Amino acid sequence: MAEPPADLASPEFSRLYAENNRAIYYLALRFLGDPEKAEDATHDVFLKAFRKLDQFRGEASMRTWLYRIAINHCQNLCRAWHGRHVFSNVDDAVWENAAAKTDSPLRVLETKELGQRIQKALDGLSDEYRLLLLLVADEELSYEQVGALVGQSPDAVRGKLHRARKAFAALFEKTA
Amino acid sequence: MKHQSKLSEEQLQQSRQVGTEQQTQQPAAREFANAEEMLRYDAAHTPVPPAIAQRLQKSTSELPPPKLAWWKRLFGGTHP
Repeated sequence: MAEPPADLASPEFSRLYAENNRAIYYLALRFLGDPEKAEDATHDVFLKAFRKLDQFRGEASMRTWLYRIAINHCQNLCRAWHGRHVFSNVDDAVWENAAAKTDSPLRVLETKELGQRIQKALDGLSDEYRLLLLLVADEELSYEQVGALVGQSPDAVRGKLHRARKAFAALFEKTA
Repeated sequence: MKHQSKLSEEQLQQSRQVGTEQQTQQPAAREFANAEEMLRYDAAHTPVPPAIAQRLQKSTSELPPPKLAWWKRLFGGTHP
């Protein structure tokens, strides 16, 4: 966890940042695929949260609330920034018949460039699958919470997750 | 010849040592059960730039302090 600064406007906000900065930065980094844009986005997301703290109704967890702000922010950026995701409009059905098996473990011989390979594989997925995998990877979120964030039922999340894993594995193999 | 053979023994030892060092430096292969597990590993090894917190400190210092949510004001509580 990144060290929070000594004073971030209030102890509550410092705590909010300390507990969630890694999750939000990682989502922004892998969703946008650009460290500088992810840095800007993380700053903007927490600043929005700071301004809207009084609107947080306590119906969801703080993490979920922050994710919602981050997802909206990143999706708006992507809409305004066409072209980077060269393969992102590929029909997910393309990966349905991919050779990779969902149940097979993903093996890597070298973790040094793992981040780059992950980014390439994620870039090849649709926004929906990419977001789904990134959210499910957060162990603090239940399928219900992920479903609420992506506008799907928990069962739909489970079904799509299976296909997203398969698509990711097929794309990841190609990055070797 | 003896000198040569001694040298070659030393060289051999050195090369063994280097070989051992190379072996210990070589990262072990990793296996991930699925995509999420790999992403979790990646997230844990991806540092958050400290500049974000510094920028936030500056940005928030220019704003009024956050208000508590209405339900917190109503029922009490100090944390967001």
